This record gives sequence, C-alpha cells and structure tokens, in this order.
Amino acid sequence: MNLDDELRSALRRREPSPDFTARVLARVSMAPVMAAQRPWFSRPATRWVAAMAATLLLAAGTLEYRHYQGERAKSQVLLAMHIAARKLNRAQKKVQMITHRSNS
Amino acid sequence: MTVLQIPERPPLKAAGLDFATLVRQHQAMVFSICWHVLHDRAVAEELAQDVFLSLHQHLATLESPEHVLFWLRRVTSNRALDVLRRRQRRPMVSLENAPEPVAVSSTGDPMLNTALRKLVAALPEKARAIVVLRYQEDLDPAEIARILAIPVGTVKSQLQRALALLREKLSRSLGEIRL
Repeated sequence: MNLDDELRSALRRREPSPDFTARVLARVSMAPVMAAQRPWFSRPATRWVAAMAATLLLAAGTLEYRHYQGERAKSQVLLAMHIAARKLNRAQKKVQMITHRSNS
Repeated sequence: MTVLQIPERPPLKAAGLDFATLVRQHQAMVFSICWHVLHDRAVAEELAQDVFLSLHQHLATLESPEHVLFWLRRVTSNRALDVLRRRQRRPMVSLENAPEPVAVSSTGDPMLNTALRKLVAALPEKARAIVVLRYQEDLDPAEIARILAIPVGTVKSQLQRALALLREKLSRSLGEIRL
C-alpha cells in the first residue's frame, strides 16, 4: 500500500449538491440589492468621503497650528523690541540729564 | 423557469469566460477543499458559495484562467482555515454521520478512504490545508507555499510531520496493514 496514492484517492475532488451553481448564481443576482440595502456608513462612497474629510481637516489643522506658532513668535519679537526700546529710552534720558547738569 | 439577472462584470481578458462557466468549472475544487478541511458538508457548501460570491466581486481584477485558479485556491484555503479557527473557539456539533458528498470517480478502498479522511480532518489546521492542497490539488510544496503565504521549508516540514502522523495513526487503527 502506498500512502500517497491512498491519500490522492481519499482526497479526490467531490461534486457539491446538483443545485450548487444555481444557488451561487441566485446569490450573485441578489448581491447588488443587498449592497444597496447596506447602511449609509458602511458604503464605500461614504468611507471615501469620510477619509477625504478627515484628511482635509488634518491639513487645515496643521496649517492653522503653523499660523498660530508664527503669530506667537511675532508677538514675542515685538514684546522684546518694545522692552529694549523702553530701556534704551531710559538710558538716553539719563545721558541727557547728566549732560545737561555738566553743562550748567 | 426563472431567468436570473446576473449583474454585468467585465469578462476575463484572456479567455472571455462567463461567471456561470467559471462556477461550473471550479465548483468541485472549491467545495472539495472546504469539505476536506472542514469535514462538514453544510458548512463546506456555504463557504464555497461565499468564495464564488467573492470571486464575482473580484472578477474584474483577475486577468487569466490561471489567475482565477490561483485566486480561488488561495481564498478557499484561507477562508476554510478561518472557519476552522472560529469553530475551534466555539465548538459545534459534529456532522460526522452526515452522508458523504458524491465522488467524481470512485477509486480505492472505501473504508480506507473514509478512515484517511477522518485522520486528515484530525490533523492540525495548517497541516490539514497543506495535505489537502498536496493530495487533492496535486500541488508541489512551492505552489502550496505561495497559496498559503508561508515559507516552502514550513510546507515541507509540516507535510512530512503530517504524513508520519497519518502513517502512525492509520497503522494503529487498521492493525496489520503495512505502509
């Protein structure tokens, strides 16, 4: 006895029930109807729209965050310049007072 | 007789085969893989129908009859293994006593064939699929590896282990038979 041959014989192809093809074709003909009856959130088009919306939101969020960071840096630079200007102003006033005293 | 309205799909570029012809051509192969892996006729028929339904949805992406054959073998094997895993998590009532499907051609000892099918059905899931693809579909280890997306070495070692196990169990259950 050869196990390979016996396995080939035991595992040979078998036919399904005689109405198998008809049942497959019936299910296939019903498939588009079932697809149309799917809930809106599970339809491929809805998924695409959701994915596009999520991508757009993400892009808009990234742009907005970058804009916010730019504005913040700008206001910090302006504040620093303002502080520096005030200090320079004070120093200039002191120099002017000392000059005025020494002249009089 | 009711005429079924089959939704239009682009025919296979190479052969121009229509869907009904493809079903008739491959139903024995698809059903037999399911039946030999699952050992449950009702579940095997249901799964085979699901595979063909999926084939209909993917028909536009398949380019040749060889591509269809490869696709069917891969999808059928993987889905049968999925069902097997789900069933092992949630055991069902065994249908061992259900009548066996009609064989294409009856050869060999029927009792030995039945014993072998039961022993194959008792193999670990991956080994079972490998044995079915090897002996039902007459595929070599490289082709089985492509279908199951596993290394060729794994296929060879699992096949050797499965055959050794089958030899041992068969000689134990049939007594004096020399393999």
